[in-house]
Amino acid sequence: MKTKSWITSGLLLLVVAIVLAGCGSSKESSTDSATNSKTLTIGNATDIESFDPHNNNNTSSEAVLVNMFDYLVKNDNEQKKVPVLATSWEQVNDTTWRFKLREGVTFHNGDPFTAADVKYTIDRVAKDSALKQNSYFKSIKEVKVVDDYTIDMITDGPDPLLLNRLSKMGAGILPSKYIKEKGIDAFLKSPVGTGPYKFSKWTKDDRVELVKNDKYFGEAPKWDTVVFRSIPEASTRVSELLAGGIDIASGIPSTDVERIQSEEGKQIVKAPIQRVLQLILRETEGTVTADPKVREAIDFAIDKQGIVDSIAGGAGIVTRTSVTPGNFGADPSLYKQTLYDPAKAKQLLQESGHAGAELNMTVSSQYKEYAEVVAAMLNEAGFKANLEVLEPSAFSERYSSKSFKEIFMIGIGNSLFDASNNYNRYLKTEAAGETDYNNPKVEKLLQDALVNMDPASREKQYQEVQQILAEDRPAVYLFQMEGIYGADNRVKFTPRSDEMFYADDITSVNG
Amino acid sequence: MKGYIIKSLLQVIPVLLLVSLIVFILVRVTGDPVALMLPETATAEDRAVLTEALGLDQPLYKQYITFLGSALQGDFGTSFRYGESALPLVLERLPASFELAVAAMIFAIIMAIPLGILSAVKRNTFTDLLISGISVIGKAMPNFWMGIMLILFFSVMLGALPVSGRGGIEHLLLPAFTLGIGIGAQMTRLVRSSMLEILNQDYILTAKSKGLRPFIIIMKHAFRNGLIPVVTIVGLQFTSLIGGTLITETVFAWPGLGQLLVTAVNTHDMAIVQASVFVIALIVIIGNLLTDISYRLLDPRIRYS
Amino acid sequence: MPDQGMIRQLLKSKTGTLGLLIIVAVILCALFAPWLASHDPASVAPLKRLKPPVWLDGGESTYWLGTDNLGRDIWSRIVYGARVSLIVGVGAVLVSGMIGAVLGLLSGYYGKWINAIIMRVADSFLAIPSILLALVVLAVTQPGLITLIIVIGLTNWVSYARVIRSEVLSLKERDFVKAAQSAGAGQGRLIFHHILPNVMSSLIVISSMNVATTILMEASLSFLGLGIKPPDVSWGGMLSDGRQYIATSWWVATFPGLAITFTVLGVIFLGDWLRDKLDPRITNDQS
Repeated sequence: MKTKSWITSGLLLLVVAIVLAGCGSSKESSTDSATNSKTLTIGNATDIESFDPHNNNNTSSEAVLVNMFDYLVKNDNEQKKVPVLATSWEQVNDTTWRFKLREGVTFHNGDPFTAADVKYTIDRVAKDSALKQNSYFKSIKEVKVVDDYTIDMITDGPDPLLLNRLSKMGAGILPSKYIKEKGIDAFLKSPVGTGPYKFSKWTKDDRVELVKNDKYFGEAPKWDTVVFRSIPEASTRVSELLAGGIDIASGIPSTDVERIQSEEGKQIVKAPIQRVLQLILRETEGTVTADPKVREAIDFAIDKQGIVDSIAGGAGIVTRTSVTPGNFGADPSLYKQTLYDPAKAKQLLQESGHAGAELNMTVSSQYKEYAEVVAAMLNEAGFKANLEVLEPSAFSERYSSKSFKEIFMIGIGNSLFDASNNYNRYLKTEAAGETDYNNPKVEKLLQDALVNMDPASREKQYQEVQQILAEDRPAVYLFQMEGIYGADNRVKFTPRSDEMFYADDITSVNG
Repeated sequence: MKGYIIKSLLQVIPVLLLVSLIVFILVRVTGDPVALMLPETATAEDRAVLTEALGLDQPLYKQYITFLGSALQGDFGTSFRYGESALPLVLERLPASFELAVAAMIFAIIMAIPLGILSAVKRNTFTDLLISGISVIGKAMPNFWMGIMLILFFSVMLGALPVSGRGGIEHLLLPAFTLGIGIGAQMTRLVRSSMLEILNQDYILTAKSKGLRPFIIIMKHAFRNGLIPVVTIVGLQFTSLIGGTLITETVFAWPGLGQLLVTAVNTHDMAIVQASVFVIALIVIIGNLLTDISYRLLDPRIRYS
Repeated sequence: MPDQGMIRQLLKSKTGTLGLLIIVAVILCALFAPWLASHDPASVAPLKRLKPPVWLDGGESTYWLGTDNLGRDIWSRIVYGARVSLIVGVGAVLVSGMIGAVLGLLSGYYGKWINAIIMRVADSFLAIPSILLALVVLAVTQPGLITLIIVIGLTNWVSYARVIRSEVLSLKERDFVKAAQSAGAGQGRLIFHHILPNVMSSLIVISSMNVATTILMEASLSFLGLGIKPPDVSWGGMLSDGRQYIATSWWVATFPGLAITFTVLGVIFLGDWLRDKLDPRITNDQS
């Protein structure tokens, strides 16, 4: 009998454990039903990295944080700068900007928002080079407190991009008093901002829950609770949307678009995002891609529109520039343009004398499908394309070591909404070792534009650069990507080009 | 018995040392941690500073000793994804994974015992063939495929169960099934073969000839003896169960150790990888030890006395 | 080793026969892939993407099982994928078999501290789930067929070493080995002529189980993004890429999925039968 009782009790124990585990968390499960109209649930592919706005470098983290932390200035849907924590601003001289701050704003813990918070925040991100956002802010030399609601921002030289910096990822204002008293670690465990939603809880790789901030200075928040769930597997995310577990799902695979649209009560919403998928070509002496004819042949060999229509499921816009509309310096004459002529590609390759040349193309596994098609098209034109697919972190390691061979395929975004961000890589010092692109004329234009405080002539400079690059082809642009979201008809959601989720821009249809 | 336990405990030490060596070697071959931790704009000087700070300029054996020393104090370094110490991050994921693994194991046992007995009793009939067919398919189907199909069927088509995430017991059913079916299949086969062995033993045959009803024979004699191998396999299978959570948790967005590990491996967050491999190894070793001890407790000689 | 009598016995077992048939079919596919395939498995045709199998509406006669997301012929890819699956399966098993056999022989034959070290190493490998070990190694090494084989092989050797060690331990005490020893046979001769032939049957049985594990592991690694990279075709990779399409174009994932399931099924059935025949003592609870 001994054995039996041993086993029985063991089994019993397991059952009890499991039931307890079930009961323990069943209380929470009532909150994740999205049927409650005052809860907004959004399913993302990745979890946030942390609550430190300065130490994040991914859009999906910032998309959550923008609901908790306010910027001084933010982009509206058309990339116009609108006031948030700053009410007005003016340029005092080439290197000084004066900001008037909003009065009567409090942080979630009750601390009042003042100039000291701005100084603390901006100084931190501008000075601490260990922070991931530091490189975007280090041109800010100093923040001077004029009075409690006025500050002067001093840049280390003329900086035409200051407002772009202050309205981008990483510019969220932190509570200086709270952090100084409790320390940054405590802040990260229970973060506090001025935004319309307050931190409630974070279960890593599961969900971030925010609740409304009743004391928000602006329009009253629309939702009681906003939940950001992390669901890495795309098919699970789609299933969750279809089953009604979430209101909005990001990163919908193009193949599921029709399926979601045909489902009653669900819809697909798309918007062009800042990311342009492109091939970057090495011009180092001795590589085949150093020959302009070869680069031209590569451009003509790839049917970009065909790729958009098939693999991307229509979710893309072909372009010959990476500075897409909405970004400062865009040249509309190159947008929605594309080159494709397989016969010409073959001919160019013949003329170059490199027929049959090997092209080693490296790509991160997230763009594998595109790369396979591009490789097939290059082979069609008479190249011998070798595809190397790396998983994302191996790719980024290779990327930062600049050790690609002839081609790498990458989708590059632009959180600054300014052409300079696209073109820094073609500055001579930056290009060294990566593309080794070197065109003195481009160099001069880019260097001048970096410190040009006159928007009109600055725009001209970037447009000229674009025309040159379109012919020089240090990169071949495939298309501007589009964000595909699935949404429940319960909510009205218009995606933004910067991929942020401002919960209050998402409205409940039921009121 | 006491001596045996002490001896086994002593053997755990060299095994853990070897695990630490394996982990260390893995981390050493992980390309360039410095390049990953620094932004693209870092200079050569930045790299040198970080290399020194991480102790990567030291000879390997010294690095290993340092590594071992801090590992013993529970310090596996800082996760650069979360910017926090790695070990607590790993430990806070254990309850979720444990819940899933236990549920999967219970499912496997609930599936294996009746099916295994049935197929032993109905040996070589159609039922037997059907059961072994189904259980083998359960083992032969790639995990993630099954998980995705289960979601599509039960959650999207029928709307009966939640799709993903951790919550009440209803959240547990699909992932537990996905994770447990392979082990359940294996157990079914084990129960079947051990039942067959027992059913052919003299005392059962005697009971049969005395005219006892087959159901009673099975319940009274064969059942509990046939269970012994199941108990032992429960412990041994925990390793593969933990391996299985890597897949299952990713499919079902289950916030456990498996997902943490997959993300850590994909982002080369080596502090997390080190800490989790260590913790998992420790759990497995202790699990095996307990199985071993309980197996000894269940020794056949005790059974028949 | 199989002879006439054995085949006849095999045919008596229903599941054993089924297993054999499946395995033979897979091997034939792998061997004659170029003749069986109707298309180049790597040729991409975006315009022909996601065509359903020939018997469904919209199917095209040359694409028997339909096309995948890039317009590649699924049948041809499955046929070529059989090669990769078999190469990976058999290759990894050879690697782990070799490592396991050598270490098991050493440990069983010499005993003492060699045994102690090898067994502790085995324990530590057992303590880390093999998929995890493979995942970590693959994440940091160059991806590729050979890497995959070696990595999977390296993670699965313990069951070989353990079984062989215990076989050797019992064989050592048997008369014919002792006789050979006293007749002055060298160690190499003893191992290769007396011990190895006697553990062969156990090796074969474990190997059959390990081929199944390996094929499944390749699929899991593909799911986690670390499987075979293009242009190589593997079933695991096809299934993993096709999972996006399960609800919309079911054939993309289903056929490679079935190929994996049936192959593993065949291997398990054949392995079960082999175990019953060759060595009833081994249970497969170590896989």
